[in-house]
Amino acid sequence: MAVAFLFMMPALILLVFIRIVPSVQAFVSSFQFRGEFVGLDNYAFILSNDRILGAIQTTLMFNLIVNPLQIILALLLALLLVDRVYAPSLWRVLIFMPVAVPLSVATIVWGIAMRPDDGMLNAFLNWLGIASQPFLVSQDQALFSIIFIASWAGVGYWMIFLISGLKEIPESLKEAAQLDGAGYWRTLISITLPLLRRTLAFVLVADTIANFLLFSPIQILTRGGPSNSTNLIMFETYRNAFAFNDLELAYALMIVLLAILMVVVTLQFRLLRTHESA
Amino acid sequence: MIQRLLFTLVAFLTSLFFILPILWMLSSALRPQAEIFRTLSPLSVEAFLPTTLDTSNFQNLLQGNYPRAVLNSVVVASGTVVIGLLISSAAAFGLSAIEFRGREVVFAIVVISFMVPFEVISIPLAQIVRENRINNSFISLILPGVANGLAIFLLRQFFLGIPRELIQAAQVDGAGWWKIFYGIFLPLSKPALIGAGLILFIWQWQSYLWPLMIISDNSMDVAPVALAKYMGQFDFDFGQMFAGAVILSLIPTLILLPLQRYFTQSITLSGIKE
Repeated sequence: MAVAFLFMMPALILLVFIRIVPSVQAFVSSFQFRGEFVGLDNYAFILSNDRILGAIQTTLMFNLIVNPLQIILALLLALLLVDRVYAPSLWRVLIFMPVAVPLSVATIVWGIAMRPDDGMLNAFLNWLGIASQPFLVSQDQALFSIIFIASWAGVGYWMIFLISGLKEIPESLKEAAQLDGAGYWRTLISITLPLLRRTLAFVLVADTIANFLLFSPIQILTRGGPSNSTNLIMFETYRNAFAFNDLELAYALMIVLLAILMVVVTLQFRLLRTHESA
Repeated sequence: MIQRLLFTLVAFLTSLFFILPILWMLSSALRPQAEIFRTLSPLSVEAFLPTTLDTSNFQNLLQGNYPRAVLNSVVVASGTVVIGLLISSAAAFGLSAIEFRGREVVFAIVVISFMVPFEVISIPLAQIVRENRINNSFISLILPGVANGLAIFLLRQFFLGIPRELIQAAQVDGAGWWKIFYGIFLPLSKPALIGAGLILFIWQWQSYLWPLMIISDNSMDVAPVALAKYMGQFDFDFGQMFAGAVILSLIPTLILLPLQRYFTQSITLSGIKE
């Protein structure tokens, strides 16, 4: 017992100093203003401030689109590349390549590609015969441009998890279903997807957490604009802490974000719960 | 047969979507700025092919503070992998080889606490780091990356698969726990150590928010932050931006490609399907 703790000691010390202490400090400080206890004032301020409420709303909308989009794309690609094409490992490697590009770097490259006047994306659209688009400088398109960048960077990563989940499913089960006369879609819906549910739940939850905390594309490209249309909570929190020097408000906002995240993740686990009978 | 060909075509087109931006970045890094824009208006295939092998962008990049930033990133990432593997494997050993009451509870606490997303506590942690004046240091850059819940989880799963008889045999020979740890467990766990090392490396190489918050001294900037700051300048040089982006992507690619199977294995091993 004592020996076990000696081995765990360095990790436990780090756990206390870089996880627990800051969490407790943030929680306590979220009820303070300039060091004075003010009860729920910071939380009341969050509920009364239009920009912050807007950030919460934008974050929810962003996640409502980006998570299903990424997971459906990753799932379709995984199903396609697991056994439906020639040279599957070639396509897998190519689609996985963006994972090696750090998100901030992908952001920078796409930021240049999305420049309205001389960017690569508009050059490509023009080549297809489509008119140039404003992308990040348009209030209507900026959030979708961020979704586009995040998906380019993320889909290949989640696809790899789903492929490895699909490979775990015993061939014999699928063959048995096919012997019973089930076609591809029938086998997919009644055998493959139910058996993939655990992996799907993991991927969906991990993706959701990553997207709720998305920061670098906003900070590098839009700074929350234009007209706060890309003002996600993580960036709003960062701004409150470092630009407006209101750390306590930032902590309260972080706690709100964590609370939202916990609710969403719980719902997702409920949704994809593995039934014992299945 | 026809269906398979059709699906292969879909896979090919999808791959283009993911790979073309990377080819564009690479090709643009290898041509002068004027050429970058020429190949785009109108768009020609050249934009995605490194037809010119002009290294001036890389040479110009060497003049500024970017090489220092890349070096900082390499030091921070390697430090994270080395220290992180030591700390995580020791913790995993304590949580798998040695039997004690409440082991499962300690394990759950450790893994769950480290799985709470780092971003959530990074702002208060950055405040603590600044108050203690250890900001602008390698140690403050490295520390948050070294104790990784996923790495501990992964190593523990692997350690649990090592036969108990090996421990008992070593104990009969008079070996202590420390000897069993580095003499038996670590040598047997190379695949898991590589997988965990990759997770630690990628996490740290990608980090952006944390260095942004705790580094104010430009000479301590890590490369992603240095590159983003450069983009924030009014008239940045496109060629150099691309060259900088290529360097930052090439290093993890060179590490990931030969080791990708360990990464995939570790994903499977982490038992997300159990």
